[in-house]
Amino acid sequence: MSAYISIADVTKSFDGTSGRIDALHQVNLDVPTGEFLCLVGPSGCGKSTLVFIIAGLVKASSGEVRVAGKPVIEPDPDRTMVFQGDAVFPWMTVAQNIGYGLRYTPMSKKEQDKTVNQLIQLVGLTGFADAFPKELSGGMKKRVDLARAYATNPTVLLMDEPFGALDAITKEKMQVDLMRLSVTDTGQRRTIVFVTHDLEEAIFLADRVAVMTPRPGAIQTVLDVPFPRPREASIRLSTQFQALRGQIRELLVTEEEES
Amino acid sequence: MKQDELGNRADAVSNDSDRKRRWITGEGMVSIVTVLILVVLWTALTDSYIDDLYFPSPMDTIQVVGRMEGVLVGYFLATMYRVVVGMLIGAVLGVVCGVAMSWNKWINSVLDPLIEGLRPIPAVALIPFFILWFGIGDTGKLILTAIGGFTVMVVTTLEAIKHVSPIYIMAARTLGASRLEIYRTIILPAITPTLIGGVRVTVALSFALVIASEFMGAQSGLGYMIMLARRTLQTDAILVGVIIIGITSWIVDRCVRIVGNYLTRWAPRSE
Repeated sequence: MSAYISIADVTKSFDGTSGRIDALHQVNLDVPTGEFLCLVGPSGCGKSTLVFIIAGLVKASSGEVRVAGKPVIEPDPDRTMVFQGDAVFPWMTVAQNIGYGLRYTPMSKKEQDKTVNQLIQLVGLTGFADAFPKELSGGMKKRVDLARAYATNPTVLLMDEPFGALDAITKEKMQVDLMRLSVTDTGQRRTIVFVTHDLEEAIFLADRVAVMTPRPGAIQTVLDVPFPRPREASIRLSTQFQALRGQIRELLVTEEEES
Repeated sequence: MKQDELGNRADAVSNDSDRKRRWITGEGMVSIVTVLILVVLWTALTDSYIDDLYFPSPMDTIQVVGRMEGVLVGYFLATMYRVVVGMLIGAVLGVVCGVAMSWNKWINSVLDPLIEGLRPIPAVALIPFFILWFGIGDTGKLILTAIGGFTVMVVTTLEAIKHVSPIYIMAARTLGASRLEIYRTIILPAITPTLIGGVRVTVALSFALVIASEFMGAQSGLGYMIMLARRTLQTDAILVGVIIIGITSWIVDRCVRIVGNYLTRWAPRSE
């Protein structure tokens, strides 16, 4: 498979109040078409920054990110993002939120409504189309956020610790839904870059897990996750799963000690 | 779990309508009793200890209203016209300039020193100039009121835009919104709750400015009426003017709050 997202020598430094901070140093990574890649690493290693750079929201200090061969300069609805915080627009109803990205496509209003209705059903929010976000629980808001990111049918989905604020049970349900939804209407798999600090989440979701070094962040190791899809929630209990989890944990712990 | 969430929501809705179905709440009752006690105290004190000249009794006050009815309506409308039109011009210009200043740094560089120069000056201090330039008609009063509302709203707008959560703007950008669309669909709705607060300050300020400018030079209006009554020591007429201003100011504020609550019905509120 060809590299759909290609990250070449990306370096990023910020000028903070306490001087210059190097967030990323010479990051190189290729993500093939349709791959689900999880980024894990110690906190502050710049994994979020890397995803923001792929989204086109943050500019790299040097180096380049290409998606489908084209350099990333600005955000594009073909690369949507789900943020760690609550990014659902509180002044719009569930339906308006989900349809937000469709306004800027050539799609007719009727088709937009149809797509929105399908997505509402798909994420299990039937009956809440006209509700405002303040009437929803945290998990339901995340579903709105997910549906909104799916609406424009992007080929790339970027997720920055999207389920970090959810309780364990809701989180598991969202993970299962995410795997179900990560296929486009035509049956093609989306390319997903998913940031998390939850190792079980990373192994459960990913085709490959990229482990980053502490700041300034770089890719230390990329591990294959061998489990076939569709995956059952119970694979978490298998010895193979736990062995892989231990292996990644070991990598992160040794790094913390070395730095 | 979805069942549970649905159930919770249904509960919240029925609580809401419970509140609406009741004609008056306990808190509302307490407020009404407070007002009644004040009126009783007012009657009792003006009947006994206080000379009518210093503070007229409720009966005198009501009689004055009957006596002055004809001019009163005209004065009231003159004042309301100045307050409402002046305030609207000032508030709309303030919001437009605030948005323009955040949109473009060059517009900001031009307007910022002008506004910062104007803002520390109490608008009432300009009244003598306005009378000199525009006479004692409506024009000067409208401009003065507009300046007051403008300075409040331009500052409120700029501050509100600064505090719009960047996550909403980033989310809109990733979904393909242009800069203009971000202003229209994200920034404007996000700053609305803060703007409503600014409009409420503007309402109070506009009444103060119109009345003050009517004191200094006018041929109509409630401020003019109070000034005339002062010269002849008609304290009952002064009190009528004050009460009418108080009640209308309260009603206008109430209207702003009702419209504001509707516009921000999406916003979570703490009771």
